Amino acid sequence: MNRNSIFTWIVMILSSLVLLFILAPLAGMFIHTGGSQFLETIKDKEVHQSIWLTLWVSFTATFVFAIGAIPFAWLLARKNFPLKNMVQGIIDLPIVLPHTAAGIALLGFISRDGFLGKTASVLGINLVNHPSGIALAMAFVSLPFLINAARDGFAMVPERLEKAALNLGAGHTRVFFTISLPLAWRSITTGFVMMFARGMSEFGAVVIIAYHPMIAPVLIYERFSSYGLNYARPASVLFILVALLFLIALRLLTLKRKEKLIISDAQTD
Amino acid sequence: MLRLTNITRRLGDFALRDLNLEVADGEYYVLLGRSGSGKTQLLELIAGLEHPDSGKIFLDDVDITIQKIQDRKVGIVFQDYAVFPHMTVFGNIAYPLRTRKEDKKNIAEKVELAAATMNISHILERRTEKLSGGELQRVALARTLITSPRLLLLDEPLSSLDTSLKDDLKKLLRKLNKEGQTIIHVTHDYGDAISLAKKVGVIHNGTIIQEGSVNEVFNKPSNRFVARYAGIRNFFRVKIVHENGLVTGVTGNNVRFRLNDISQGSDSLLIIKNDSIFLSDEVPLDKELNAIKGKIGEIIPSEFGLEVTIDAGDLFYVNIPASAMGKLRIIEEREIWMSFPRESVVVLNGVS
Repeated sequence: MNRNSIFTWIVMILSSLVLLFILAPLAGMFIHTGGSQFLETIKDKEVHQSIWLTLWVSFTATFVFAIGAIPFAWLLARKNFPLKNMVQGIIDLPIVLPHTAAGIALLGFISRDGFLGKTASVLGINLVNHPSGIALAMAFVSLPFLINAARDGFAMVPERLEKAALNLGAGHTRVFFTISLPLAWRSITTGFVMMFARGMSEFGAVVIIAYHPMIAPVLIYERFSSYGLNYARPASVLFILVALLFLIALRLLTLKRKEKLIISDAQTD
Repeated sequence: MLRLTNITRRLGDFALRDLNLEVADGEYYVLLGRSGSGKTQLLELIAGLEHPDSGKIFLDDVDITIQKIQDRKVGIVFQDYAVFPHMTVFGNIAYPLRTRKEDKKNIAEKVELAAATMNISHILERRTEKLSGGELQRVALARTLITSPRLLLLDEPLSSLDTSLKDDLKKLLRKLNKEGQTIIHVTHDYGDAISLAKKVGVIHNGTIIQEGSVNEVFNKPSNRFVARYAGIRNFFRVKIVHENGLVTGVTGNNVRFRLNDISQGSDSLLIIKNDSIFLSDEVPLDKELNAIKGKIGEIIPSEFGLEVTIDAGDLFYVNIPASAMGKLRIIEEREIWMSFPRESVVVLNGVS
């Protein structure tokens, strides 16, 4: 056996161990969840509501914040400005903050004494214990994933193509929508899905902003702390399955959209 | 007419310096320069993709120095074509028309016409990822020409094409120019300049060092750099002296050149075209000619036939047709006479 293949074996064994570390607890949870318990959970209205709330709030948060985050990512990829490195650091801040601390910081901002909270209460909305507050907490911790992925996507678009489009008479807005955005689309999609997934799985920041209405991670925690492991497991399994299905669907949809873009461009009529 | 006056643009360590340029309507202007000489930057300034630090750009006597790119009517075809990879060939060519919100029927007609001119009608529905270099070049050209630019800027359009495609594209470019299209073509290839240019400019270190017709520039190069471009390899640093009433250039190795009457300078550079030197077994009879004896060194096949190196104290490079090799008995180490008229020696005074 030569040195190369020994190396390959070692890499494969180490990789398998890492993979096993990820899969084993999940598989264990699935195995230990009894069929009858699982069926009962599927029928549980409280679980339905929390999963649905988690999905739509996270999706809405991602969608709404993408409107600002994507142009921001383009700016970071294309323009140089003073303190750009600091701005980049600020964007990454939510990744390194303890999420409960992020929740506390956000709570100060959106509670009735805070700037955003005051403004919202004028409109009759109490952001604390409200889906919009949950959305803000989810977005706070997951925005870096979208911004960074989209920025990398825009950076990979050759500037030449944008210059060529300008030379062909297009204004900056048209260049952004017809050249930069479609070419960075794959990275933006990845960022979108990552932000959505990260927001959906957020517990720490959300639980500080809103214990109720209960999103799935809070519900799982509540069931675990009140009733124990066996009661929390089926809800966890169901949430994981639904989240997976949703992620796969989203991936397929966004990939299809990219193909559609190209096909529609090919149509000459 | 395009006119650039005193253009200066600094980019890191590199700068375009006090650059002036005039390109008349209908001209085919080839800007010749090595990579890093500032050719592409100059095109980007003309197209408006960059702005000069100082100086003015006029098109038809209108100052376009800070005019928006979209309003300039200057089309640029980039070296790497910059064809949009997420669009079909049709989408690429139609892009400027769709930008102008022309109606679909009009767009289809114009695109088909442009594609037919460029001979790419058969690939209109294709994605651009798998197109060849030649096809991409034509797509980029069609896409630019459909905007009817006043001025067409081409950045090394022939550099990545194989020989047969190059010839096809040259034909196409000549045809476009004949039809009245003003073209500025930047290249590092002397061959491109000879075969296409009405006027040539040589750019070096961010400034145009010589300009004129192909003949003017390459028969009377103004310095060693331009001469190198013309494939000339005979450069001799000499001291100009008067010997027996004759103006003579003497190299450090004591090789002597008789020169036409010129003012006596200190150090000068002599340039002799490789194909201006004739070889013979005997000393030439014409006493007016320069005659120098040397020993044959390397014999290298070249595009002209053979390039023969002759050591006469200084090294000379002489081009001869391959058929002359036997007749002249070109054999390494053999002694041979070189002769050339005084008029064929270009003297650059005070040039190192």
